[in-house]
Amino acid sequence: MQRIGDLTLVQASVDAGATFEEAARVLSENRLASVAVVEHGRVVGLFTDEELLLGVSPRYLDDLRHTAFLEAELPSLRERAQAVRGEPVRDHMRKAVTVHAGATAVHAAERFVHSDEAAVAVVDDEGRLLGMLERTEFAHALLRRLTAAGD
Amino acid sequence: MEVLAVVVFLGALAAIALEWTHRTKVALLGAAVVVVAGVIDEHHAIEAVDWSTLGLLVGMMIIVGLTERTGVFTYIALRVAQLSGGRPVRLVFLLALVTGVMSAFLDNLTAILLVVPITLLLADLLRVSPIPLVLVEVLASNIGGTATLIGDPPNIMIGSARPELSFLDFIVNLAPVAFFTLLTVTAGLAFLYRKQLVVEPERQGEVAKLDPAADMREAPYVKRSLAVLLGTIVGFFLHAPLHLEPAVVALAGATVMLIIAALGSAVVDNIPFTAAMIPVVDSLQGDGFDDAAWWALALGACFGGNATIIAAAANVAASGVLERAGKPISFVRFLLVGVPATAVSLLIATVYLMLFQL
Repeated sequence: MQRIGDLTLVQASVDAGATFEEAARVLSENRLASVAVVEHGRVVGLFTDEELLLGVSPRYLDDLRHTAFLEAELPSLRERAQAVRGEPVRDHMRKAVTVHAGATAVHAAERFVHSDEAAVAVVDDEGRLLGMLERTEFAHALLRRLTAAGD
Repeated sequence: MEVLAVVVFLGALAAIALEWTHRTKVALLGAAVVVVAGVIDEHHAIEAVDWSTLGLLVGMMIIVGLTERTGVFTYIALRVAQLSGGRPVRLVFLLALVTGVMSAFLDNLTAILLVVPITLLLADLLRVSPIPLVLVEVLASNIGGTATLIGDPPNIMIGSARPELSFLDFIVNLAPVAFFTLLTVTAGLAFLYRKQLVVEPERQGEVAKLDPAADMREAPYVKRSLAVLLGTIVGFFLHAPLHLEPAVVALAGATVMLIIAALGSAVVDNIPFTAAMIPVVDSLQGDGFDDAAWWALALGACFGGNATIIAAAANVAASGVLERAGKPISFVRFLLVGVPATAVSLLIATVYLMLFQL
């Protein structure tokens, strides 16, 4: 298999100064599970579909252990979605999971398994973003390589 | 050497109060310093660990943690909230009552982490500020926890230090005064926040539309978990005639629970004030045994948990939930309610102790 940096990387990122709405649009338009949040070219965080869900839901959602008792949608759902639009993405990002472009397949696999992220940010020596590597793409590439080696 | 021990103790208390780092780290660091410095030798340090308190806490946390997953407590909280018919003052009293009772028989931290998020949702549905409701719940959790041996860590520690005080002794001596205090403090807060506690008539029906049992229908082990929890509580009532320590009852219940479900996580909390006061009350008593001093310590330590936002783990937990929900409550705002509530509670406790215990 090529180096991690040579696999198909998705070129999608948002600037740390962008709004929640702009980050959500990048996710949605590219049909991605996760995009890198960058500042001066360096990855400072990830904005994933989970941040999107948490952002548009009531802020106590994470603390609720059960919700099946709700029979109808909360009236505040739409209001929350409106309120969150202009908030900075910096307040809604999670810690970045990065993999160096020259990393081994085992290291990349370990990062995916332990972080449980749908995509990781592939970076160069200076920590600059080269692109997002999606877990599905990586798994399929690894399978192709192992199958080819067995033939 | 004694000076060093006092300095470490006060330093640890300050570090916990100011939240410099997690209190577990502070407690372990303090313990390490006094052992390494030779203030206490290793043998006595191990002896100083209160195993029956730890056993009771661990046992109850396993039982409650696993029962919580079944949605039973959510069911109870919502059913009780529905009795209000969406009328806010009634809701304040019912939430205070359900938090108080849950704190008495589970523990107040669990009760708070369970009831506060549900309250935020109820407040959302009814379009009222959640702050008065959550404040009442925090106060109710500390007052309710005072009622039983297992309700609040100070009481667990007192029960462990004086095994002659049974589960029933705690209930007989503390539950009535706790209940009266709960009603008084709740009434005070309901009055204080009466202008904020207004729900538009068309929204009052929202609470009735919830289906409290929905989560239980999805969960496994509902009946078995509930049977173990209730069995353990019955075990607490009978621990004295059975000659079993409450910790043994809790751990036996937890073992049964673990067999029928998966391993739950447990977080052990520490209550430095009670740890420090138990030997003091012991020495004040000399050779005689007067349980009034212990009831005074239980009432003081548990009710005192209402004074500030950091005075009890449950308060800190509730403020964390509120902050995450975007409705933070400041130290001073809590203080303005907490200190009068504590003063009223302690007044009731003092009158009670003078009339019935001394």
